[in-house]
Amino acid sequence: MPPRQTNLLQGTLDLLILKTLGLDQMHGLGISRRIEQITRGTFQVKPGSLFPALHRMEEAGWLASSWGESENNRRAKYYRLTKAGQRQLAAETKQWERISLAIGRALEATS
Amino acid sequence: MPLLSRFSSLMRNLFHKARVERDLSDEVRSYVEMLTEEKIKAGMNPEEARRAAIMELGGVEQVKEQIREVKMGAFLESLLQDLRFGLRSMRRSPGLTAVALLSLALGIGANTAIFSLMNAVMLRQLPVKEPGRLVLFGKGTWGGNTDSLPDGSWQLFSFPFYREVQQKNQVFSGVTAILSIAMDVHGTIGGNGNIEPMNAQLVSGTYFSVLGLRPMLGRAFTKADDEAPGGHPIAVVSYDWWKQRFGRDPSIVGKKVTIGSTVYTIIGVTPPEFFGTTVDHSTNLWIPISMEKQVSPGWNGLEDKHFQSNYILARLKPGVSIQQADANVNLLFKQALHEFAGPQPTKKQLQDIARARIDLTPAATGLSHIRFQFSKPLEVLMAVVGLVLLIACANIANLLLARATTRHREIAVRQALGAGRMRLIRQLLTESLLLALAGGALGVALASLASRLLLIMVSTGPQPLPLNVSPDARVLAFTFVLTLMTAVLFGTAPALHATRIELVSSLKERGATSARARSPLGKVLIVSQVGLSLVLLAGSGLFLRSLVNLSRVDTGFDKQNVLEFHVDEASVGYKEDARVANLYRQIEQRVAAQPGIRADSFSFFTFNQGEWTGPVSIQGQVKSIPKDVVKNVVGSGYFQAMEIPLLVGRRFGPQDLANSQKVAVINQTMARTFFPNESPIGRRFGDDPEHANAIEVVGVVKDAKFQSLEEKPHAALYIPYSQHIQYLNDFEVRYSGDAHAIIAEVRRAIGEVDGNLPVSGVTTLAAEVDDSIVNQRLVAQLSTFFGLLAVFLACIGIYGLMSYAVTRRTNEIGIRMALGAGRSSVQWLVMREVFLLVGIGLAVGVPAALAGGRLVSTMLFGLTAADPFSLVAAVTLLLAAALLAGYLPARRASRVDPMEALRYE
Repeated sequence: MPPRQTNLLQGTLDLLILKTLGLDQMHGLGISRRIEQITRGTFQVKPGSLFPALHRMEEAGWLASSWGESENNRRAKYYRLTKAGQRQLAAETKQWERISLAIGRALEATS
Repeated sequence: MPLLSRFSSLMRNLFHKARVERDLSDEVRSYVEMLTEEKIKAGMNPEEARRAAIMELGGVEQVKEQIREVKMGAFLESLLQDLRFGLRSMRRSPGLTAVALLSLALGIGANTAIFSLMNAVMLRQLPVKEPGRLVLFGKGTWGGNTDSLPDGSWQLFSFPFYREVQQKNQVFSGVTAILSIAMDVHGTIGGNGNIEPMNAQLVSGTYFSVLGLRPMLGRAFTKADDEAPGGHPIAVVSYDWWKQRFGRDPSIVGKKVTIGSTVYTIIGVTPPEFFGTTVDHSTNLWIPISMEKQVSPGWNGLEDKHFQSNYILARLKPGVSIQQADANVNLLFKQALHEFAGPQPTKKQLQDIARARIDLTPAATGLSHIRFQFSKPLEVLMAVVGLVLLIACANIANLLLARATTRHREIAVRQALGAGRMRLIRQLLTESLLLALAGGALGVALASLASRLLLIMVSTGPQPLPLNVSPDARVLAFTFVLTLMTAVLFGTAPALHATRIELVSSLKERGATSARARSPLGKVLIVSQVGLSLVLLAGSGLFLRSLVNLSRVDTGFDKQNVLEFHVDEASVGYKEDARVANLYRQIEQRVAAQPGIRADSFSFFTFNQGEWTGPVSIQGQVKSIPKDVVKNVVGSGYFQAMEIPLLVGRRFGPQDLANSQKVAVINQTMARTFFPNESPIGRRFGDDPEHANAIEVVGVVKDAKFQSLEEKPHAALYIPYSQHIQYLNDFEVRYSGDAHAIIAEVRRAIGEVDGNLPVSGVTTLAAEVDDSIVNQRLVAQLSTFFGLLAVFLACIGIYGLMSYAVTRRTNEIGIRMALGAGRSSVQWLVMREVFLLVGIGLAVGVPAALAGGRLVSTMLFGLTAADPFSLVAAVTLLLAAALLAGYLPARRASRVDPMEALRYE
């Protein structure tokens, strides 16, 4: 197991989850593995952070959940993006881009 | 939509807790299983894989707890959001908020205040050990009888009977006797000679142990402290008195108090919360009842089997029910009565014994002088303020309904954006709750002032009754529940109503008006307000008229220009002998010689101070069984001082001496009952058949009231104190001129006769009469106040509804006027509705008022519950007020400028 490289920034996890669920519905472990995969192992999401985040986002109305069958015929809870979630993803993406651009410029200026 | 999903998940969390929990476990378990599977695929053995999976998870319960925290946070957040929104909408309509808060504060405040008093008088338990196991012998009502065995249920008991119960009962773990007459004595503290008033309660040695009370300082009485009559000159003082009079002197134990000629040693101080077993009376010091003769010379309560003067309070043994105790006590009681009656009881005595019984009553709330007097009035007032609060709720509901209509578009927009109806109802109810809580808080503040005012209103003396009316947990709980109930009452209907919206038509509307049908709910509220107001107003009319009738009652004496002085001759060592009679005579003569004094006299009673009844046997009336009559002992100037007119014969005079023929003056009713067809002058009677020739009737006076203004005429007789020497504490002075000057003059004159004689409690006969109807006055004043308040609230309701209707119909009115409708026909358009609503309200209210009147018929005097005058007056007043409230908007409607109105939308 590669050592954990980066702490998740506040709010980053939400964006990653939203992005992950942007294409298809997924269960908890799937989301966690997918995030690991698309960030190439930079972010490993522990269940202790993942589940509270999923439930919080569900309370906020960005996600909806339902029980379904997993690929190995196991019963699993699947999460998907709601319309509000899609709007949230768009808004957060835009904001992230703005921030990362700003941070990048700031770092360039000082170096 | 976040709101919607947040709300539905809140509902899930709140109402389907079990399902949510199961869901949570399932989700975490399925995660662990999938992780395990993954690890098995990667080559671990199942056991190892499972352990690794759980370790990676970081504990199943910990994860679940983290999730729960997140959910709780979401709930609180949405609650905060609702509260913020509620506050904002309260700020946005300050007028409505102010009216709603004011009516809530008045409604809740009045309820809390009345309940505080009720709590203090009727509900609060004594601060003693397990008050629920205390029982009182009898019901604790006034009235004792020293001459013969009273009828039926007994309330007060002789000391010898107490001893019997204490020694022979099998049901109590302790029994105590409390002298029913609280002693307003005078005494000196320590060595200094200042005589000061103090209130002493005489109790048996078991008093403190029965209550389970531990003294704060020193020791309390023990059973051994009332063994020897006159042999226990000790006292326990109350915390309050210790604080006020002794400045919390830590070395109080051992200090001396002198009352009469006895020096008492203080042995202890009671705990701060204890004010005595009588809740509306504060006791300064407790003295063993064995000292009765020393505190009140001449009394022989310790040995006299017929001197029924004590309350008996007892503590039930564990496991003994009040019914079991009742059986045991009544058995002992009959045995004791047979014993007391002697070996050859008369037929009358046997009859009395057969009828006599003791009703045991729970005594957790202690004794109270005013409980019996005020229970019913307080219940009636509680109902009255309850109705006022209902009316206030109807009013606020109506206002919210009107506002909901103006917020119509806001609500429609929010619904279109996806807010669920439940979510919106919850939002509106949160607003109502906020309003109610703010009103409730104001109400509690108002109540703490109002309950003090109430206390002054129910108190007859110069000082308010020593009742604790400050809100306790029970009062606060009552108010809180009441507040929640009002929020539900006034909030639910408008919230349901406001959220029942047809989206499309609402969104299409322009401006503030609504296309909805006129609200029937608002009208129902107005009708019920009018109906309830009529009930209150008619009720207050009944009480007011009763009060007027009472104040017009012929008392038989002239209450004006009479001062009453209270003297305490026993405390300076006078005995009941010729010396005290001489003291009275000297004072009467000395005071009568002062300018401005028209007549003066000592007497046993004047009015509403208690009663002494006893039997009489008439000479020559062979068959006459002794009948009870009211007796009074008076001086020779009594009838002039009271201005009770003499009808036949003569008053008492200097010729009536201790050793001359015993004489009596009787009243009209006694003359009529006992001497129906003859002149009573010269006839003789006595206390019993053997002495039927002892006393000669010398005069007949007009009937006068003794105990209350409501009482029916009693047979009564007066005897001169010169022939019946006893303590007479009351000294009446009829005067002319300035009362203050007279008071000083009388005090000086008494001082010239005996400089040590304490004179206190100066009052007027008129005040004494007024005090006797304090509860009727309280009910009449408060119900009138609340009746008018109810009418006022109903008028605000009518005004509000009609103004709103006029605003809404401005356009229609403009068209009508443009088409030639006159002002009066426009006014009629509005007034017709007012008439209709008020008419229906009155039609509902009249039968309700009649039914309400029947409930309080026992509290009425000189009229029936169906008193037409009260009802007609109430209807007229309500009609006038309601029409005025409706007329203002109607007039505004008729002044609408057609051109402006057409452009209005």
